[in-house]
Amino acid sequence: MARFAVRRLLQAVLVLLVLAAVLYAVFYLAPGDAARLACGPKCSTATVAQIREQMGLNDPVYVQFWHFLQGILAGHDYSTGAGTLHCAAPCLGQSYRTGDLVSHIIAERLPATASLALGAMVLWLAIGIGTGLLSALRRGTIVERLLTGFTLVGVATPVFITGILLLLLFCSWLQWLPYPTYVPLTDDPQQWAWNLLLPWLALALVEAAKYARLTRSSMLETLAEDHIRTFRAYGVREGAIVRRHALRGALTPVIALSALDLGTMFGGALLTETLFGIPGLGQQLVQSVQLKDLPVVVGIVLVMGLAVVVANAVADVVYAVADRRVVLT
Amino acid sequence: MRHLSLSSRQLGVIAIGLALAGGTVACGPKNGADAKANDGAPHKGGTLYVLNNQPQTNFDPARLYTTGGGNIPGLIYRTLTTRTRANGAAGNKVAPDLATDTGEPSKNATVWTYHLKDGLKYQDGTAITTADIKYDIERSFAPELSGGAPYLRDWLVGAADYQGPYKDPKGLSAIETPDAKTIVFHLNKPEGDFPLLATQTSFAPVPKAKDTGAKYADHPVSSGPYEVVSNENNGEHLVLKRNPEWSAASDSQRKAYPDTIDVQSGLDQAVINQRLSAGVGKDADAVTTDTNLGPAELAKISGDKSLASRVGTGHFGYTDYLAFNPKVKPFDNIKVREAIAYAINRTTVVNAQGGSSLNDPATTFLPTQAAFGYTPYDPFPAGTTGDPAKAKELLKEAGYPHGLTISLTHDTDKGGEQGPEVATAIQEALKLAGITVKLDGEEHNAYEDKVHTVKSEPGAFLAGWGADWPSGGPFLGPIFDGRQIVTDGANFNNAQLNDPAVNSEIDAINKITDLKTAAARWGALDKKIGAQALTVPLYHPVYKRLFGKDIKNVVISDWTGVLDVAQVAVK
Repeated sequence: MARFAVRRLLQAVLVLLVLAAVLYAVFYLAPGDAARLACGPKCSTATVAQIREQMGLNDPVYVQFWHFLQGILAGHDYSTGAGTLHCAAPCLGQSYRTGDLVSHIIAERLPATASLALGAMVLWLAIGIGTGLLSALRRGTIVERLLTGFTLVGVATPVFITGILLLLLFCSWLQWLPYPTYVPLTDDPQQWAWNLLLPWLALALVEAAKYARLTRSSMLETLAEDHIRTFRAYGVREGAIVRRHALRGALTPVIALSALDLGTMFGGALLTETLFGIPGLGQQLVQSVQLKDLPVVVGIVLVMGLAVVVANAVADVVYAVADRRVVLT
Repeated sequence: MRHLSLSSRQLGVIAIGLALAGGTVACGPKNGADAKANDGAPHKGGTLYVLNNQPQTNFDPARLYTTGGGNIPGLIYRTLTTRTRANGAAGNKVAPDLATDTGEPSKNATVWTYHLKDGLKYQDGTAITTADIKYDIERSFAPELSGGAPYLRDWLVGAADYQGPYKDPKGLSAIETPDAKTIVFHLNKPEGDFPLLATQTSFAPVPKAKDTGAKYADHPVSSGPYEVVSNENNGEHLVLKRNPEWSAASDSQRKAYPDTIDVQSGLDQAVINQRLSAGVGKDADAVTTDTNLGPAELAKISGDKSLASRVGTGHFGYTDYLAFNPKVKPFDNIKVREAIAYAINRTTVVNAQGGSSLNDPATTFLPTQAAFGYTPYDPFPAGTTGDPAKAKELLKEAGYPHGLTISLTHDTDKGGEQGPEVATAIQEALKLAGITVKLDGEEHNAYEDKVHTVKSEPGAFLAGWGADWPSGGPFLGPIFDGRQIVTDGANFNNAQLNDPAVNSEIDAINKITDLKTAAARWGALDKKIGAQALTVPLYHPVYKRLFGKDIKNVVISDWTGVLDVAQVAVK
């Protein structure tokens, strides 16, 4: 287990380093100039040059990348004009556009994204695995047909259509829920959940459909395997076969997929965030890409990368628990 | 990243029908609403909600790039002068704000003097001084506080290389403050428009002792009717409350009816319009300062009388046009440019941008408001649908009897003013005149770089221009003044016109301090330049925006074209 943890940690560092280096390279090849964009549309060349100097963009790209790495290891001090802004290690840098520390921006927005992603995941796993199992176990019945239809509609409907329909139904017509406004969990847990209910549902309905189909096919496959047939031959009851034996095997691909999905969600579910006005990382990432605010983009992508790496490591552990044949190395 | 396969604009279009379907149904009780006055007149009190798409980022008076001091910023930052808060053309004038008048010019409008009103205070009760206004102007030169308007760098004596008070605490010698209530600006050229420039937030006071540089936007010190209670996520959620030190007696323009203003940004535009049309709960007291109604939304609303009565129409001075670079063949030939001007079908162009209720066809470069000096003219009269026969005739004269092939550069952002829809409408119109148009679509940043860089500027492209204040100067100057051609940066003089006669006329008008007289001269200059077919004006956008059902005292000036949050009431 210790070997597994060390290996995964080293892999994570390497993945994140490569990610950051690629982003630096891509940003300098892409069109647009961060200094000019920050300066405004009618800015003189001399003013753009002053801003470029202020942003440290006059250094070669590898020097900028080195400064970025130095910040992570040793921290950095930035001038606000009127004073100094200390960025403690691991310092992800300072936004070109606003002068805010990237770590501060991420800390402000991560709770919203995490709330959305984790809450939605609980819902999509519950709905997805539930309907998937039900349709596998009730194969050929009307229940299966209905559930298959439901999952097809879920997969085929984009989240913004689902979202806007939910808003219309619950906020405008029935008026059971307010139009969502993000309330931090620490401020008011009840309002937090109440306001996130529709965003969770919108995201979960789309994702759940995918999980239902995966669970169904995986369950059917497992139920057709030789060892299940042997259990049946020994007279083990169907309920016990499903719970103790089939479920473990059937859920392994679901675990792997949810790890990937959760990691990606931490980069922000942009459309859901925008539709429901959730101040998460996705909205910030898109704004920052448009403004060529490289430090913020790198920071958010690193968070996203880290989430994928961590979620995969967790998935491997859960995988090993679910399937005893798997050994962590 | 997932969920990025559709742009928010596409999302908006798809969602429109669904979004507005709920508009007429909802009429639920207002959660926790206070009793409303029923006399129809605006009253003080209550909370105004602002639902916006774009956040109020960099909410620092030195960094904001506003026209007339902005909408939300104008609630916090008072400036030397401000715009008149009146409907239509009456709202296109400049009025004193912190100053006693709109400025005393001398020496050919190169020296401008202002005196502050008596008893002006910040939210903490300390007195506002002219030194604080000078200090904010100096801050706007600091590279740490980028983003503001560039004019003062060009206009103030010796300011070209100034880098702000943090690097150069000696300050700008071109601004004198002989006493706490007097400020004198020394300009390096006559500028009759100076009072209009003084509406921008760089002319707001910032007390040096409270300056926290790049962090100032988090807790700015208010001189206006409201103060900032909280500023979350860099302007995404702003809560403002009444500033007890602001006095209506010293502010003839802002009404400031609500006690609290809650500005929530980062919302989807389709959802904003859905919420405003449904008006459930607190949304009845909501407005937007940045979300227009699209063509489909407008069509839906026009069938509903009560909703239609809640649509505000505004005209902001802006022109979208087809730009030529006469240094690129065949656009060096005026006959070719004229032929294209005749061939353009403004009806299809306007339809491509959402139809005639959202755009007025344009034949002049200046917008249609009198303050700009609008003088109606059409040097290439081709009716509303173009005159391909006349265009063919001109092409023949230009040496292209069998037509020609040209390239048209545009932005690939769908639905945008310089987007593919308008480019396609032009392509189809020009085809009838024997001109084959090859479309050259570029990603937004690449498009901006290409068309505003002299070396890469294409022969024909879509462009647009809006002035920072309602006057011909900031409209015609950057586009046609030869001295404003920028060879190593962003250039907006697309035609790269450097005509001594045009330049000297611009100088002569800038000396005029009577804005009406100046406007007439700008109009005449526009007409003269228009005859050269250096651009083909296409349309002036019109803004249509919904407001909540309990909103009173809606004022939409021609200066901004949008509902003024300083004037609305919720009671």
